[in-house]
Amino acid sequence: MRLRILLSTLIAALVFTSCSSDPTSLDGRAAEIYPGECSSGNGRSVTIYSGRTENLILPVLEAFGCETGTDVQVRWGASTDLALLINEEGDRTQADVFLSRSPGPVGYLESNGLLGTISSDVLSLVDEQNHSSAGTWVGFSGRKRVMVYNIDEYSPEDLPDSVFDLTGEEYRNKVALPGTNGSFIDWFTVFMDQHGKDVATQWLTDMVDNGARYYPNNRSIVEATGRGEIAMGLVNHYYNYQEQAASGSTHRAENYDFNNEDIGSLLIITAATILDSSTNVEASEDLLEYLLSAPVQQYFTDRTFEYPLAAGVSPNSTLPELTALEIGSVNFDELGGGFEEASRIIEASGILNR
Amino acid sequence: MNQAEIKHRGPAGLQIAVLGLAFLFSFPALYLLWRNFTEGGDPLELIATRRILDPLWRSVSLALTVSATAAFIGTALAWLTTRTDLFGKRIWRIVLPIPLVFPTFIGAAAFIRTMNPGGLANRILSEFGIETVIEMRGFFGAWSVLTLFCYPYVYLPVAARLRQLPRSLEENARVLGQRPYQTLFRVVLPQIGSVVAAGTLLVFLYTISDFGAVQLMRYDTLARSIFTAQLADQSAALALSLILLVLAGVIVAFERLFSRAKFTADEALVGEPIQYSLGKWRFPAIGFVSLTFLLSVGAPLLALGDWATDGLLRTTRGGYPLTIDREQVWESTWNTFSISVLAGIVAVLAILPIAFLIARYKSRIGSIAHSIIIATFALPGILIALAMRFWTLRSDWAYDLVNNTEVLLIFAYIVRFGSLAMGILLVAVSAVPKRLHEAGKILGVNRISRFARIDLPIMAPGLGAAAGLVILSTMKELPITLLISPLGFSTLATRIFSSFEDAFVAEAGIMALILVGLSSILTWFLVIRRSDHL
Repeated sequence: MRLRILLSTLIAALVFTSCSSDPTSLDGRAAEIYPGECSSGNGRSVTIYSGRTENLILPVLEAFGCETGTDVQVRWGASTDLALLINEEGDRTQADVFLSRSPGPVGYLESNGLLGTISSDVLSLVDEQNHSSAGTWVGFSGRKRVMVYNIDEYSPEDLPDSVFDLTGEEYRNKVALPGTNGSFIDWFTVFMDQHGKDVATQWLTDMVDNGARYYPNNRSIVEATGRGEIAMGLVNHYYNYQEQAASGSTHRAENYDFNNEDIGSLLIITAATILDSSTNVEASEDLLEYLLSAPVQQYFTDRTFEYPLAAGVSPNSTLPELTALEIGSVNFDELGGGFEEASRIIEASGILNR
Repeated sequence: MNQAEIKHRGPAGLQIAVLGLAFLFSFPALYLLWRNFTEGGDPLELIATRRILDPLWRSVSLALTVSATAAFIGTALAWLTTRTDLFGKRIWRIVLPIPLVFPTFIGAAAFIRTMNPGGLANRILSEFGIETVIEMRGFFGAWSVLTLFCYPYVYLPVAARLRQLPRSLEENARVLGQRPYQTLFRVVLPQIGSVVAAGTLLVFLYTISDFGAVQLMRYDTLARSIFTAQLADQSAALALSLILLVLAGVIVAFERLFSRAKFTADEALVGEPIQYSLGKWRFPAIGFVSLTFLLSVGAPLLALGDWATDGLLRTTRGGYPLTIDREQVWESTWNTFSISVLAGIVAVLAILPIAFLIARYKSRIGSIAHSIIIATFALPGILIALAMRFWTLRSDWAYDLVNNTEVLLIFAYIVRFGSLAMGILLVAVSAVPKRLHEAGKILGVNRISRFARIDLPIMAPGLGAAAGLVILSTMKELPITLLISPLGFSTLATRIFSSFEDAFVAEAGIMALILVGLSSILTWFLVIRRSDHL
């Protein structure tokens, strides 16, 4: 008897999961991007492996599917895991498009020869430094490196102009670094590229000697800073907005922006790529173009608090200002190759045991 | 082949089935060997460097201490909730397995949020003038959180075993004037020793495979080295994983060697198990159970509940809206329920033949299958996922048949969690008294109806507990679900992950609470209701 109930539940489950209705128009956040009627199917489909999370980017993909009539399939996951999966799948991957939270996994796929070339029409939608010169990836939004700090312990005037000052005695045992985090490793790669490997390595060694503490990711640093467990930490700007939205005034932390010229205020881009094995190149390029369209760029800055990279959209006024260094001076193509070395140096510094 | 030999090794059909199962379970190990070979991974060279010895030592010492404490807590809780007049036993039985269902990445984070400086517990305590500044991190943090989340690996099987022990031995002991604690040490513990050992082994292996908790507690183990190296130095990551597997193999072999389990029971189960009165121990006992519950379930739930209510209040006050809607939550809840129940049932069906071959026939093939399955538990989920994908891609036939289907997903779950069912099923199979079988045979009952009428009813609580362990673990499983589920398939765990990654803590909190609720219902249905009605 119980077996029968179970079996019928399971059959119901399979039926339930296999049918999904086509909406005629969108609601919620997706409707802010595309308020119109949905097109009927255009016979195209695109499969995305997305390292950007569902909460942030699903409305965009829904809007794309509705507006163009393209059938959109997504596998969500951590960018690193998805890159490993694509590498394992090789030519037979279902993915047409891979969206990465940071450049490192893109560099990994590129060095394994798995990325195709994006047409110059799409690439030219962003500034030159925000796409690969080889045409393998294009940036579609940005996250700025900042320092989050506890507002009960510090006020902005007491904070330094540069990450180089953090090695000073007054910041002993105060600073958290997300050593194993993808965007921290990317940031360190650019650091090495800008200031030279020796300077960057020395800075990290000095930080470790100065009692810098390791945390596994941006989120945990922002959360710990909000509680006062640690005074400050180097993170992406974005997480503090979420923590504030979620916890309100009990979250006692704010973002601090270093001097604009400082490496500490670098912009890290999120990147879109098309797999070399894709047979849906046209639909994939349409999607990339859509990501760079004005309504979507506007959504990124207003709703996910990120920096727009295209369509002349200006950053939401609540975000720290972007200036010289972040745009135009960093060669992101270096990131792929440098990622490996940066990881090695970070591990050798001993920060991971702090 | 003469009759005695057949009896020794088991029926040929069963042996072949078990060989096939052993082969399927060895996919991840074969994948690691193959990839190490093709990628030029050199485990021996890595072992020679200190860089590996340190994390290796940290993994082993953490796993040993977590195992010891989880074994103690799990066994004590099992005894108190099955054999004593502990206050509120039925409630404890529903809530004590809950820690199993916290995905460690959010469970540990919630634990930290409650327990660490400035956290919720601190704020509550400081209202009463108590200032505590214990920071959960490093070895201490990893040890405490893993102990608190892993004790159910011991608790569940031991509780199932305790409810099944023949009454007669304990009665004899009592009649012979043994005091309750003497009975416990001389009669009960020897009978549950092998189950405690099997559960503890799982705790050990889980601890060396865990990434979520050690990462958040900032304790640099071998599993974390593997994750750190994955993109930057893949051959090193593969070599490290192989070292992990070898370590697991050694531990499993040791366990087999020392706890040559006496999986036999010639005593029939007669009546309800003996209940002991706690007497003056009743307050320390309830204190111990409550403290374990408060730390392992209460502390994470406090933070999760805080996140969830903040989020709900925020939306009702017209603040930043939640990024999940009811339909998505329902869909994930349903997927979580159906896929994990299915995985639990299939796991029991897959492991049962192996348990039969070992417990009834002491077969070598059975032992080999057993070792492969248990050792695989030490591998991080992502390796299982990559291995499964790798092997389906080797054959067009398999690819067309299972790729992008729930079949592959369930197969991967079974490989990941089959080990959890093994120990309990071994006990369940051996709990069937031989003489009942012989009686059945003499009466001319055929094998199938002997199984249905003698074995199944006696094994039922064990089957429920085994399926329960697999189900609770599958419900929180993350990397496998993310990487090899059909496109668009989401579970509560995958949505919690998505939300939590980008600090959507309200959404993560709400779905984690649903996960806990769902697991409590299933625990009640599978583990408790069944056994109480026996």
